[in-house]
Amino acid sequence: MLEFASPMLAWWAALTVPIFLIYIIKVRLRRRPVSTLLFWNQLFDEKKPRAWWQQLRHWLSLLLQLAFVLLLVGALIDPLWSWQKNSQRRIVLIVDNSASMKATEAGGITRLHSAKDIAKGLARSLRPGDEMSLVSSGGQSVVHVGLTNHARLLIDGITELPETDAPSALLPAIATAERLLKDRVERSEIIVLTDGCIEDFETIRINPLVKIYGVGKPQENTAITRYQVRRSVMDSVGYQVLIEVTNSGLEEVKTKLELSLEDNLVDVVPITLKAGESQTRILDHTSATGGRLVAKLDSKDALSTDNSAISILPQRAPLPITLVTKGSLFLKSVLESMPLVELTITEAAPESAPKGGLLVLDRIIPEKLPRGRLLIVDPQNNADLMTVGESLEQPLVARVEKDSPLTQHIRLDNVLFPGAKQLTFTRPVESLIRDPLDSPMLARMKRPGGDLWILTCNLEQSDLPLRIAFPVLIKNAIEWFQGNEGQLRPVVPTGTLAAFSIPDDDQAEVKLAEASRDSPKPIEGQEASSLESVNDSAVAVESAAPPQLRRDLHVSSPSGKSLAMSAEGDQALIGPILECGLWTVAPASDTKTETKEGTKQMVGNAKVDYRWAFASNLTNRSESDLKPRGELLTADSLSVVSLGGRAIWFYLALLGLLLVTMEWWLYQRRVVG
Amino acid sequence: MSLFDSDFLKKLEYLSLVSRRVFRGRLLAQRRTKQLGGGIEFADHREYAAGDDLRYLDWNVYAKFGDLLLKRFQEEEDLHVYILLDASKSMDCGTPNKFDYARRIAAALAYIALADLDRVSIMAYADKPLDVLPLTRGKDRVLSILKFLENTKTAGTATDLATVAKSLVNRAQRTGLVVIISDLYDQAGFRAGVDLLRHRRFEPHVIQIHTAEEANPTFLGDIELDEIETGQRRKITVTERKLKQYKQLFNEFLISIETYCKTYSLSCTRSTTDLPFDELIMRMMRASGIQS
Repeated sequence: MLEFASPMLAWWAALTVPIFLIYIIKVRLRRRPVSTLLFWNQLFDEKKPRAWWQQLRHWLSLLLQLAFVLLLVGALIDPLWSWQKNSQRRIVLIVDNSASMKATEAGGITRLHSAKDIAKGLARSLRPGDEMSLVSSGGQSVVHVGLTNHARLLIDGITELPETDAPSALLPAIATAERLLKDRVERSEIIVLTDGCIEDFETIRINPLVKIYGVGKPQENTAITRYQVRRSVMDSVGYQVLIEVTNSGLEEVKTKLELSLEDNLVDVVPITLKAGESQTRILDHTSATGGRLVAKLDSKDALSTDNSAISILPQRAPLPITLVTKGSLFLKSVLESMPLVELTITEAAPESAPKGGLLVLDRIIPEKLPRGRLLIVDPQNNADLMTVGESLEQPLVARVEKDSPLTQHIRLDNVLFPGAKQLTFTRPVESLIRDPLDSPMLARMKRPGGDLWILTCNLEQSDLPLRIAFPVLIKNAIEWFQGNEGQLRPVVPTGTLAAFSIPDDDQAEVKLAEASRDSPKPIEGQEASSLESVNDSAVAVESAAPPQLRRDLHVSSPSGKSLAMSAEGDQALIGPILECGLWTVAPASDTKTETKEGTKQMVGNAKVDYRWAFASNLTNRSESDLKPRGELLTADSLSVVSLGGRAIWFYLALLGLLLVTMEWWLYQRRVVG
Repeated sequence: MSLFDSDFLKKLEYLSLVSRRVFRGRLLAQRRTKQLGGGIEFADHREYAAGDDLRYLDWNVYAKFGDLLLKRFQEEEDLHVYILLDASKSMDCGTPNKFDYARRIAAALAYIALADLDRVSIMAYADKPLDVLPLTRGKDRVLSILKFLENTKTAGTATDLATVAKSLVNRAQRTGLVVIISDLYDQAGFRAGVDLLRHRRFEPHVIQIHTAEEANPTFLGDIELDEIETGQRRKITVTERKLKQYKQLFNEFLISIETYCKTYSLSCTRSTTDLPFDELIMRMMRASGIQS
């Protein structure tokens, strides 16, 4: 429905009256005396206009002139569609640049490309007083252009809007948009350009400020929607792959799943999926070496991002353990029984734990505790970090911390720890097992040089070594010291933060933990964090540890773009991750050079050091389902509104110009000439 | 500024002198009539017939060849010059004015004729004779001729040379040279008039005058044309194509006049008003010299 921004200017239409009158009385006719009409009569009487259009020639000229005036008046009154009727509109344009928008439509054009075209048209249709802001919702909400009336700025912002492999973060984007519009809600609206492959569709749809316009058509798609790899608990060299494949299309799909480790084909699994079906497979394989494990679907569908997934399989490396004891049979037996443990037994405590391993101190501990990761059993003398007191009166296990990984899978209720002593620590510790008086019997302490695990119990007198809980306790401790290294390198889903444990010189340790969307967002200006961009997306790096050693790092995205950042402590939060593939992190102190493309690669180490890397995949059912979740407004109607990117008045004026040019060419050109 | 100022008179004198020096014996009164008679200039021979005057027998031929041939002589007589001046309203246009230009030419020709002792009569006409200056002779009559021309005005609502020629033929005492000064836009009347003059043994000489604007109009667009002679009006739309067609038509008209004159061996001079009148007279003299 059409309305007009300036209806008062319609008075200009009165110009048609004088034009008509002038035309009727032929004001333009000039009188010219001639000596004879002999030749003119001859000329015009011989060749009288006979065609109907020649007879209507003058009337056509009049009609063209009147049409020109009316079109000009039409442009002046500025016709608006109903959605444009309010002047000084404030629009927040949210362009969904999530992974599903990379789906290609007919003609090989991506949905994001179509959305950009529509968005540019909207930007061009801005009228004086209007303001528009550009926000993207791929993985995270990013304000690319604040509220402005500068169409060129908006168009540039739209052009530079990047693709992402992350799921849509439309709700945060709408929240951002609402914050932008909060000071004046009237005449404001939020226009979302999306393919509708979004969660919480209904929540968004009922928002009165939001209008969701659809881009693209529903497409068939088969995708890897879950993918994790872990080392087998039972087998020291085995590993398990958890993989889920989903057919979100409407037809049955037959495909093959190829698994390759470091580009060597490991397995090919034929899969048949009915419409909407998901299949989960757990595949067991054996390999002592680690590397890049890639799962790939032999499928050519609209979205290629979710047809492959990558993970890092940790390498099974021997664990050096030095046992300082004067003959503890139980400790020696339990450590020797563990696979991949290289045990060294000595009576004198070394100055530090073996590189990459740990030091077990039985009963006798030096006054200054060695550097590195320490496992202390039944300490008998004081050290720099703790004081050994009197024996506990009731060395009975009263409480076990069940949530700690150090005490998982064990039951020690009412078990006596004979010889247990009162321990006092100079640093904060976490008590995992306590006696009835709340004294620690098993504790852990974090320290910069290496963590400590302390158990106060005389193994010779206790029946603890005879319980199944003892080897489990020791294995838990070793695994805790190792972190997930050697077992699990969780794959980071795109759109989330990656918690990256920075390997240090002494102990190369990579620990990745998936951080939820609710993880603390990076705060600009925070002392221990830096915020920069990789691949045009915001990546936050935040230290998770107390302020310690500040380290400069380089993060390289799978596409090769790099980010210089700094973090304090041994862990950093990176993200949200917006690209699928292998991300690499490297200390800035390493020898690095700039390549021609501007990306950074490690020199002298052709292969990626997987301790300094983590993998990221889409694995998102919602993004892989290329059908809209609800009814969307047709984006074509937006195109009609902007009529290819301009306001209606522009086209009216253009048409008027065309008509007046035509009139001039037909009637006035020869006169002027 | 009067039509015939002192400059004009000086030019007339100059033209008169030039005509005598350059075209001695070839102009106007010195033109020989085709009548044979008692002149002194030999014309041709003819066979002797019984009763012929023996004084004119060519004895030299008889002595040489034995043929009896009689000598014939050209009879000399003064020439009557009739100037028909188109004074219709169609002549009253253009810059310089077409009628003024015609009057200057008429005055120049009359002056030269009087200077050569010829008799001159001027008749201003439109659809009928408007004013007539009877035959006059002698250079001292120049002023009366100029006065006559100066007092002549355009008039009438049409041009009809046929009627005027008929009137001239009826009132002329003798045949002679008839100089028609006109734009000749009366085509039918013009041809009928000239034909009549030819048939009555007058020697018509046509001087066609038109303005440059008439030959090459430059106006375009919607225009109302006003014919000054009849007052008739016509609304037309002039396009470049129409202009081109007009020029072609006008050119065909000029060519038709020339063709007509050549067909009957009439001298014809055409000029636009932007050409100085003395230049036109000189051109006419040269043309006469070539013809004679």
